[in-house]
Amino acid sequence: MKEDLVLPAPREKSAGADGEPLLEVSGLVKHFPVKGGFPIRRTVGAVQAVDGVDITVHAGESFGLVGESGCGKSTTGRLIARLLEPTGGTITYRGQDISHANRKQLAPIRSEIQMIFQDPYSSLNPRQTVGKIISGPMEINGINPEGGREKRVRELLEIVGLNPEHYNRFPHEFSGGQRQRIGVARALALEPKLIVADEPVSALDVSIQAQVVNLLQKVQRELGIAFVFIAHDLAVVRHFSQRVAVMYLGKIIEVGDRESIYTRPRHPYTHALLSAVPEVNLATDDATARERIRLAGDVPSPISPPSGCRFRTRCWKAQDKCATEEPPLVQISGNREGHLTACHFPEEPTTEARDEDIVLDPALAALEEGTPGPEPAQEA
Amino acid sequence: MTSPIDIEGGGTSVVVDGEPGPETKGEAVKLDGRSPGQLMWLRFRRDRTGVISAYVVGFFFLVGLLAPLIAKLYGKNPYTVYADERPDLFDSAGVPVQPNGGIGGDFWFGLEPGNGYDVFTKLIYGIRTSLMISVAVTVAVVVTGILLGVAAGYLGGRTDYFIGRVIDFLLAFPAQLFFIASMPVVVSLFVSPRDETPTYVRVVALILVQWFLGWMGLGRILRGTALALREREFIEAAKVSGASPWRIIRKEILPNIVTPLLVQATYLLPNFVTAEAGLSFLGVGIVEPTPDWGQMFSKASTQLVMQNDITYMFFPGVSMIIFVVAFNLLGDSVRDAFDPKTAR
Repeated sequence: MKEDLVLPAPREKSAGADGEPLLEVSGLVKHFPVKGGFPIRRTVGAVQAVDGVDITVHAGESFGLVGESGCGKSTTGRLIARLLEPTGGTITYRGQDISHANRKQLAPIRSEIQMIFQDPYSSLNPRQTVGKIISGPMEINGINPEGGREKRVRELLEIVGLNPEHYNRFPHEFSGGQRQRIGVARALALEPKLIVADEPVSALDVSIQAQVVNLLQKVQRELGIAFVFIAHDLAVVRHFSQRVAVMYLGKIIEVGDRESIYTRPRHPYTHALLSAVPEVNLATDDATARERIRLAGDVPSPISPPSGCRFRTRCWKAQDKCATEEPPLVQISGNREGHLTACHFPEEPTTEARDEDIVLDPALAALEEGTPGPEPAQEA
Repeated sequence: MTSPIDIEGGGTSVVVDGEPGPETKGEAVKLDGRSPGQLMWLRFRRDRTGVISAYVVGFFFLVGLLAPLIAKLYGKNPYTVYADERPDLFDSAGVPVQPNGGIGGDFWFGLEPGNGYDVFTKLIYGIRTSLMISVAVTVAVVVTGILLGVAAGYLGGRTDYFIGRVIDFLLAFPAQLFFIASMPVVVSLFVSPRDETPTYVRVVALILVQWFLGWMGLGRILRGTALALREREFIEAAKVSGASPWRIIRKEILPNIVTPLLVQATYLLPNFVTAEAGLSFLGVGIVEPTPDWGQMFSKASTQLVMQNDITYMFFPGVSMIIFVVAFNLLGDSVRDAFDPKTAR
């Protein structure tokens, strides 16, 4: 890439968490109807994919959204990008309520909220050239940059680290990482203020993931674009996001700045999630041992979520109160400013090893009980 | 077109500073990608069966298109009643005196027993009529299939349900029987039964009837394709940038249904040719004296011709077999070229 590459100046100083909220989501609900019945099909239930989510994203900030598969991260992203119609709650973009705006009403802000998709193989139209794909959004929004759209597209290709000469190529001629870069260029074409990145690297090779994450980080810093970064890879989110929200079964159970979530988590689920991250430790490296929590079972069905706290069915601290009362998302004592947790019985704010490992998985527990003794011979 | 595909050219292959010269141009040309269409064309050209079939099919279309010119050079036309013009060539029953319908230097494919039409010009004009009707039906079917199929697939919901039921309903019709039964009805809509029916009315009726029961298969396939495409992320990307549904259908979906569309169209056309020939054979399609491929079969099977000139059947028969087989082989090759992954 050329040294003298001119990036457009950030329109707003990235003010971090202190800036005015760019996007405010409150009480966001999305239920997908479940149809059934014979002979007359009717709605018999609802998949409560997102059930009361509050998010605030500030200008220029990178906001991470993590959680297990099927916890509603992607649905939340799609709701923010208004690809889906929310069932309830409000989405406010720069003071403007866009929760139920139609296509015409959304037109002026369409260029400001863009999206990067998960699958680089299905997010590019195989019948269009790279140039057409990237200039499409400009065409739709009637943007005519100085020097023509083609020049701008070549600039964008250079920004995302592709050869501008690839203008006339087709997506099938690129690798996954290169395709994802094209997707990033398309999102940047409209000079957005907010990009919803829906697991942008999870379909990529690990070696390519770092490249794309660094590209996104560069874009975020240099262009001052706010990101809603959806991922299930905690390490990637830690690298990329200033603030992180942890989702479980359609709800945010803990939110806070990166440090708070990763080093001082309070919610048992966050603890479990963090302890599940594999870590490469050299034997000689006697850094403080990390706690070890192994959950059992799957996320409960979002069609009939558990009452009260949704995590109680898999939580080792669950008591009667958890079933009857839903814990509010508040700043509990011992939390730093802006670190909110939804739990009646929060954990200690540390990730260090505890006296006893928590192993809820009966199979794993049985296996581990056997290992110290002479049992393994029996297994073999 | 001759340069090798340089897939992993990312960022390394072209670093041109200064010196804009012929070399730069060469590089730029090299970096132009090949569209899926170009790749398909390359694959198709390597398929020998497909290319030969394409030439055969092309030859038939050319013959149909240039029929008047060929007839002029040949010096005869299909409407001349040679039984009156050259009575010396026929016996009292109207059968050509020479064997095999009087095949010779003057009449290449012989003469038709009875009225004594020239078989060669009759055949090429017949091909012309049949192909014109079939192409018209195919175009109508393709347009209908795109409109209804893509609408059903993309819009979904009620539209999909409604169009789906219409398709089911029409598919339940026994097509051949419906054609035979409805042809006179459709014709009588235009002309009163007492008047002479003009040829164009019969042609229009044939097109209408075949179109009415011909579009459902294609419509269903395109519905499925559109349904699958609708869930792809590039459609969502277009939506996020504010594209209208019309633009999404036009720019994102239509280019992607070209593959099934072309493949299906190449299978449909020979079907329509045979169906039209069948109707004319049964006497509800094109009738004398207008030349038509299928009507020649019906003529060949009359007692007069059957008993006296068995070679007459040979010309429409062989030409139609060659045409239909070549067109179906072409369809297979087009399919193979478009999606090389599916095994036949």
